[in-house]
Amino acid sequence: MSHPRTGRALIAALAASTLVATACAGGTPSASSGPGASASASAAASEKPQQGGRIIEGTISDIATMQPVLVNDTASGRITGLLYDTLIQQDPKSGEVKPRMASYTTSQDGLTYTFTINDKANWSDGKPITGQDWLTAVTAVAKSAKTVRKSNFQDVQGFNDFKDGKATTISGISIDSSNPKKFSVKMTKVSCPAILDLAGAVGSPLPTQVFGKYLTATSKPEDFDNAPENTNPQVVSGPFLFKEWRKSDQVILGKNDKYWQGAPNVDEYVYKVVANQTAITNGLKTGELTFGSIQAKDLADMQTVDSVKITKYQNLGYTFIGWNTLSPTAVGLADKRVRQALAYGIDMDAVIKAVVFGEATKQVAHHVPVQWAYPSTPLEQYKYDKAKAEQLLKDAGWVKGSDGILAKDGKKFNLTISTNSGNTERETLAQVAADQYKQLGINAVAKPEAFQGLVTKLTTGDQTLEATIIGWSLGGDPDPYQIWHSSQIPNPAKNVTGFGFTGFKDAAMDKAIEDGRNPANGDCSTAARKKSYETFNKILNENQPYNFGYANNVLAVSQKSLQSFAPGSFSTTYNVYEWWIKK
Amino acid sequence: MATTTTAIKATTATDVLVRPSRSLWSNAWWKLRHDRLTLAAFVVLCLLALLAAAADLLADNVFQYSFAKQDLLHTYEKPALDPIAYLLGTDEIGRSQVVRLLYGGRVSLAVGFVAALVNLTIGVVLGLSAGYFRGVVDDLFTWFVTTLQSIPTLFLLLIIGAIWEPGPVQLTIIIGALFWTGISLYCRGQTFSLREREFVIAARTIGARDRRIMFNHILPNILPLIFVLAAIDVGGIILAESALSFLGLGILPPTPSWGNMLTGATNYFVRAPWLVYPPGAMIFLTVLCLYLIGDGLRDALDPRVKGREG
Amino acid sequence: MRTFILRRLIYAIPTLVGISIITFVIVRLAPGDPIRLFTFGSRATSEDIEALRHLYGLDKPLPLQYVDWLMNILRLDFGQSFIYHQPAAALFLDYVWNTLQLALVALALQLLIGVPLGVIAALKRGTWIDSVIRVLSVAGHAVPTFWLGLVLIIFFAVQLRWLPTGGITTVGKDQWDILDRLRHMLLPAIVLSLTGIALYSRILRTETLDVLGQDYVRTAHAKGLRERTVMFVHALRNALIPVVTALGGILAGLVGGALVVETVFSWPGLGRFTFAAAIAKDYPVIQAGVMISSLLLVISYIIRDIVYAVVDPRISVR
Repeated sequence: MSHPRTGRALIAALAASTLVATACAGGTPSASSGPGASASASAAASEKPQQGGRIIEGTISDIATMQPVLVNDTASGRITGLLYDTLIQQDPKSGEVKPRMASYTTSQDGLTYTFTINDKANWSDGKPITGQDWLTAVTAVAKSAKTVRKSNFQDVQGFNDFKDGKATTISGISIDSSNPKKFSVKMTKVSCPAILDLAGAVGSPLPTQVFGKYLTATSKPEDFDNAPENTNPQVVSGPFLFKEWRKSDQVILGKNDKYWQGAPNVDEYVYKVVANQTAITNGLKTGELTFGSIQAKDLADMQTVDSVKITKYQNLGYTFIGWNTLSPTAVGLADKRVRQALAYGIDMDAVIKAVVFGEATKQVAHHVPVQWAYPSTPLEQYKYDKAKAEQLLKDAGWVKGSDGILAKDGKKFNLTISTNSGNTERETLAQVAADQYKQLGINAVAKPEAFQGLVTKLTTGDQTLEATIIGWSLGGDPDPYQIWHSSQIPNPAKNVTGFGFTGFKDAAMDKAIEDGRNPANGDCSTAARKKSYETFNKILNENQPYNFGYANNVLAVSQKSLQSFAPGSFSTTYNVYEWWIKK
Repeated sequence: MATTTTAIKATTATDVLVRPSRSLWSNAWWKLRHDRLTLAAFVVLCLLALLAAAADLLADNVFQYSFAKQDLLHTYEKPALDPIAYLLGTDEIGRSQVVRLLYGGRVSLAVGFVAALVNLTIGVVLGLSAGYFRGVVDDLFTWFVTTLQSIPTLFLLLIIGAIWEPGPVQLTIIIGALFWTGISLYCRGQTFSLREREFVIAARTIGARDRRIMFNHILPNILPLIFVLAAIDVGGIILAESALSFLGLGILPPTPSWGNMLTGATNYFVRAPWLVYPPGAMIFLTVLCLYLIGDGLRDALDPRVKGREG
Repeated sequence: MRTFILRRLIYAIPTLVGISIITFVIVRLAPGDPIRLFTFGSRATSEDIEALRHLYGLDKPLPLQYVDWLMNILRLDFGQSFIYHQPAAALFLDYVWNTLQLALVALALQLLIGVPLGVIAALKRGTWIDSVIRVLSVAGHAVPTFWLGLVLIIFFAVQLRWLPTGGITTVGKDQWDILDRLRHMLLPAIVLSLTGIALYSRILRTETLDVLGQDYVRTAHAKGLRERTVMFVHALRNALIPVVTALGGILAGLVGGALVVETVFSWPGLGRFTFAAAIAKDYPVIQAGVMISSLLLVISYIIRDIVYAVVDPRISVR
């Protein structure tokens, strides 16, 4: 489901998914308690689903590919997820990892996973889905030159050697000789997020009967990367088959009668490219689109429409202001007290009301409420307190000059708040923040700039950026390594790139992240990891390397005729084969 | 010798009708003064320029709203008279449309005229050189111009805009570097014919340097029509800049430009259509005036079009 | 005639080379890193990024990259799209066809509406009809196309609901449903044709006026031929020459203007696709897009020259 964002069609066209940086552990894993028990609308379960009809979803950007290994944008992820099922899925509301096509067990030391694929799991051409098919996917990731997912499997024993051509097989993967549907994967170290990396969207089994020939010992990377079946998949495992792709217009999928969980009730799933968010909103009103999400500003209007149903749930992500603590020009940002003042000095509740019409929750640390890693111990809420902010600034040595601007050691407190142009929500946030900080005596100014330039500056650690407003889309696993570990801080001098553009590091925080990711005692249970994340969030909350902004609500709209539709923060289409249209 | 002259005058007065000679410029001026449409266009354009120049004054004193001032509680306000800043309504984040319209004029007009000046300079220099020196210089020129004309200009500008993400100054230079071919071809053509005229040959005989001949002798003769081309050029540039800003490149908000005031139009044209009409109308009006002025100037300077003698 | 065509084609070659240089320069010399852009948000490591850079040959010195690219183009290989992982040229086939549909319909409208308007203005010279057409023709040039598109959408699609707001097909309808396609094409084609209609009406008016005053027409009148015969047979044929001459600029306007129109109406055409690729820094696709657009234009110029030579008996084809 496209996240609600104001934005021009064009930038959004190809950057819709990257407007919000993804720090996913795996694509969009589907979630549900296994086949049989349905977590969806119980009222509808008593009625018999009618057959036929068409589900039409609107998208702002066209897909790029239908090959799970090469997927790099939300649109492609959506369609690929409907064509290829994953081994495991996440509960839509809690994110708890559950079996889908396969169940799994973990060894005592946490290093080996053993998967058993469901007996009923078959390809659309009738052949059974086996461990070999999963191995084909992993081999594809290793051999492909164009995938960006190699790091998903880096901890699998023997993967790196195989990838670099030093070995002909992956030593850590073994398929049971007596049961081809059973296989085990040995890791080089205990990695808690690994299960989603291995068995999520990127690890969707691929039909060996189709892709095997591109992945032989003598094959070249381009054999797989340029395979025609990447854009014309004929053998699939998911609820829908590929029918037609009209470029920049629509993707048409037909129902897969042989789907292992039972054929879908609808005949077709159409992914239609529309100009922008407004077109999606209008399409929902007129009934042209079956489901989609809208922005907060359209909520009041949509509530007057009789033919639709609105479901709210929290977005798995947040919008924030990132402070460059190493900025040579905005030197105040290096001081913790200044950053805390910047948290007290902005009326975030008023901002939430104005920008997203109240449809968001204020954030003061990294994890969002819907994640299990969300801190249970109370954290400083940084309630709007202008006096306190001014006091903290004074304590840090900033004094108002005759022109009303704060200064210290002869340097004025200038602050440029950058954000990507074309996103009204963020531009507004930047403007409002600048206005509020001006009242504290900071010479703050909002500066929208084009998305690509901003992206490059962020990841290369360009020191001209002082404050940046952007958003994160969080992955299935709460591991925050990619954003907050000190190894991810970009260094322009050494040509190191990364997402840790605030330059903030803390040894205790690093250890908490490492413990939650690769625990020494091999304990990947939620309870054990949660302890690490409590520490982690507390450090962030106190040091405020970001003003953590807010986590907005997703406003999912669906036609009342659409039954069994029950989206959650972690997945929308997990039960798409159960959806039906009531005529 | 008063008697003699009076006698001569008397004779000539009865014999033949003598018309006082008119130069090209005075003839043109006469024609212009009587061309009501062009005059009207000129007046309107000056008015627009005046309004744009007075944007600061008006914003501070009359409307009491800056162009960047947001008011999230009053977005999409319908046009109203109270406060006067809501004269044309407010946009998606509560900014005053009328104030932004005034400032937008500044940007559009500034970019238009400066870029046209760059065009003019490049076009004249290259065209004159190609026409005067001929030979290899002309061949290179022809090749370059044909190449540029074979790439759709607006298309090229928009692609460059998307890839380079230029700021306002760079944008003006880029536009200046793309739209000069028409002017240069005209200069070249004219130089070809003029260089064989007596006054040029005379200048060369006395040893005048090439540069001097080109700029002091040839150029003044072709200047009139260049102004016409320039006027039309400015119109085209304003259209191009607004298209660029509309697509989200070039002039970025919060700096208003008539084009970027319409960037989000596809999002709100259903609920606030009154936001869509003014910026486009202003672009239309400005460019229309420029084209009419250009047409009027051309007619005025064209000896075929009957003026005072007719 | 054959040598004429051959010569024209040969003259086109240095132009195409020049276009390739300009294309390459504007794309490659721009700041920004495409690899980093499309891997943003994924978990690509620095090694992955460098490996991709090497794969696409982006780490070689620029002149070398240019030569490689040029050599490939001669074999009709425009490279692989960074985003779609497919040959760039093949991607364009659908889009070129969509843009051609729009452009050809727009051209037809220009000729069918612009030419008669100009002739009428000339015949009715001095009357209010003439004035109206003259003002409209100047106005047609001055109106910003994207704005006109928006206004038309507001009126016809949103308020009257007669036409769709954009796109090229309706869900559930076949691609080859002509009626559906025409409904989607109507507004964008009208907007696209406007500048041409304005231009043609002005040209035709001037030329018809000129021609109506010429001797052979007076002779034809004196011979007693019906006015309609006079006009059609003699005047129109000669007035057609500047129409063909103006075709060059018109075509450039069609391809260039198409980008803006395609964007406003969400028409999946060549311009819009190249623009999206430019934003995403998909180098092979951008380069292919600019080259293909220019190629279309060059071919149109050649066709125009041939038509010109046929139409104007004064031009020697030898």
